[in-house]
Amino acid sequence: MSEGPRVLLVDDEPRILSALQRSLRREPVSVETAGSAAEALAALDRNAREDADPIRLVVSDQKMPGCSGIELIGEIAARHPSVRRILLTGWPESIDEPERVRLGLSALVSKPWDDQELKREIRAALDLV
Amino acid sequence: MSTDEPVVRVLVVEPQQADQRDPATLRALQRLGKGARIEVVHERDALRRLLAGAVHDCAVVDERVGAEALPLLAEAAHAGVPGVFLIRTGGDAAAVEAFDQGARDCVRAGPDFESILPVAVLDQIRRVRSERARNEADARIQWLENLSRTVVEAIPTALAVLDAVGNVLRANPAFSRLCGRSVEASAGRPLRELLPDSLWSVAEAVWREAARGNGAGPRFAKGDAAGRAFDLRAAPLSEGRSLLLVSEVTEVEDLLRQVGHLRRTNEDLIQNMNGAVLMLDSTGHVRFANPGALELLGDASPEGRDARAWIQGDTGRDLLVAVLERGERIRGVEIVVRRPDGASAPVAVAAAPLHDEGGSPRGAVAILQDLSELKQLQRQVLQTEKMASIGQLAAGVAHEINNPMGFVHANLYQVSEYVDDLTRVWDQVRGLRRAIGDAPATPELRRAAELFDATVEEVEADFLVDDLGKAVRESLEGSERVRHIVQDLRAFSHQDTAERTLADINKALDSTANIVWTMMKHSVKLTKDYGDLPPVSCYPMQLKQVWMNLLVNATQAVEQRMGAEGIRGEIRLHTRAEGGSVVVEVTDNGSGIPPEVRERIFEPFFTTKEVGEGTGLGLATTYTLVRRHGGELSVASPEGEGATFRVRLPVEPPQGGSPETP
Repeated sequence: MSEGPRVLLVDDEPRILSALQRSLRREPVSVETAGSAAEALAALDRNAREDADPIRLVVSDQKMPGCSGIELIGEIAARHPSVRRILLTGWPESIDEPERVRLGLSALVSKPWDDQELKREIRAALDLV
Repeated sequence: MSTDEPVVRVLVVEPQQADQRDPATLRALQRLGKGARIEVVHERDALRRLLAGAVHDCAVVDERVGAEALPLLAEAAHAGVPGVFLIRTGGDAAAVEAFDQGARDCVRAGPDFESILPVAVLDQIRRVRSERARNEADARIQWLENLSRTVVEAIPTALAVLDAVGNVLRANPAFSRLCGRSVEASAGRPLRELLPDSLWSVAEAVWREAARGNGAGPRFAKGDAAGRAFDLRAAPLSEGRSLLLVSEVTEVEDLLRQVGHLRRTNEDLIQNMNGAVLMLDSTGHVRFANPGALELLGDASPEGRDARAWIQGDTGRDLLVAVLERGERIRGVEIVVRRPDGASAPVAVAAAPLHDEGGSPRGAVAILQDLSELKQLQRQVLQTEKMASIGQLAAGVAHEINNPMGFVHANLYQVSEYVDDLTRVWDQVRGLRRAIGDAPATPELRRAAELFDATVEEVEADFLVDDLGKAVRESLEGSERVRHIVQDLRAFSHQDTAERTLADINKALDSTANIVWTMMKHSVKLTKDYGDLPPVSCYPMQLKQVWMNLLVNATQAVEQRMGAEGIRGEIRLHTRAEGGSVVVEVTDNGSGIPPEVRERIFEPFFTTKEVGEGTGLGLATTYTLVRRHGGELSVASPEGEGATFRVRLPVEPPQGGSPETP
């Protein structure tokens, strides 16, 4: 895994995580994954408590069993406001401008995603451009 | 009258003892001739029986009958039959006594007795006959008088006999009721004083006319205090007198007014009703058609034309036969009407036979309702329902496809990069092999080189490397296509959670048009004709997609034709406000839309484009988005003359939610 800012990918579908990891293999980021919102929050909490190297960005799927991506991102915005947030969703139109502002999203990427677009948005969120 | 019937009938009472009887009596009476029937009785009971028949004109009683003679005369007189007493021996005293008892005449049986008796009898007969005739006439006059008095007193018409200066001489109870005075109090008073003021002027006019000897009236007079209406007439009588008749016609007047009102209501109803009303005579020719019928039939003067001229198909003709010939009532039958200009329309018919007062058929009345709009609406509802169910399906499919497509597409993209890298590695491996050459330095190297060569040859490695790149690129292209379909499906089916906002339709249309025009590299002539539009409550992003779809469609249509025929493509945009709606029209001069395609053009997955060029969701999505705004999307395309897509959007969102699809 490359060295670079830490990015946490959240999706309940392991193949999506695996594909996302492949996409980002050559990006200057350090990728880790979580299979649910709960797992992601636990990782972030632990990171904030114990780790000197902070997780800088979360890329989360919207539709997940239990806690949805929007709920997760809302929670992150409250608990870890310095962590940047990107939402991957099959229904980007369902989230209007006020909602985006409320969630403090760096980007809203539609799914199935375009590889180039995703990488661009991730770099932008991490101020890597 | 039969000749056997006697003209006169005479009763003769003779003594019981035969030797007492005088044959001269009968001989004398036979002089009365053949027309006289002589009936002889000898005792009281027989006489009574005959008298009861009340048919005899005269009774002759012989003195020789004895003590019974005078009482029998009295009985005859009582029965209305004049008696003649035949004196035999008695003197004047006997005659006086007979007259006392009721005899009408006495004849002494002397020498000229045979000639006197028939004369006396005939005289009596004449008298009784004229008496009876007078009585009958009196009775008839009496009856008539009674009748007219009853009529005059009972009829509701007020009657008054006026003298030459207008005083009431006589009046009936109806007149006194009209004037509010008793009959007695009316007599001798001037008419003017008796009549209500509202009737006087008309009454005076008809009375004066009658006083000049002419019949007058009927004239109408309206309204006494109770608002009643009257019919006044007068007739001249003798000696300058007149008869005034005043009848109350309030009810008739009311009835006439009601009939008039009903007639006007009927006419208004028939003239203005939405449906078409036709009256046909018994041969099926039009007798009457209301404006609705003129419009429906497309004929300004259908009167006199055969209704069969408009009817298309057997159902309609059978219906005409059923109503006109069998007198059946028809309701809600659907037929097709063909107009003179060749257009035809589905029409619902209700028809009923008409009859004259005698009950004979005299044609039919029919009410026709144009079903074209209804059918159009039905098609729209069906289409909307179809859209809704397809929308639900599409939403489900889109979502399920999203995830697997997500990683398939991302992986293919990665794989294509891997393949590029590995191809570079492979080129270097081939270079390495060439560098080793045909005579490797060591036996290990030689064995490895031989194995490598054999394997490369066996699996055709060069081809594999080439084709792997190609296969991955093509797969990537395929998955890209699926990604677009999924995006289209999502747009088609997604529910909008955003709020409606007020937007300027002209502005949104214009910016979209400019983007498309730029994409077209300005090769199409774009004409803009924007009307003044009120701000429309809408979802602006959705409408932008509507304009985009219509413009792209129009562009593709003109491109197709420009390519084929080399003419200059033109797209015209026209907007206008209309009632509570705004109308946007996108017109192209492309190849047009054949009718069979037009039918299905808004169906999801219906496309005329090459595989891979269109998903068949563009217009379906457009349709759905317009419907979501409570609007309408329609298309007109005269054969080979391009097409106009018309969007009609309500300025205010419809109440109770629009017919949304998921």
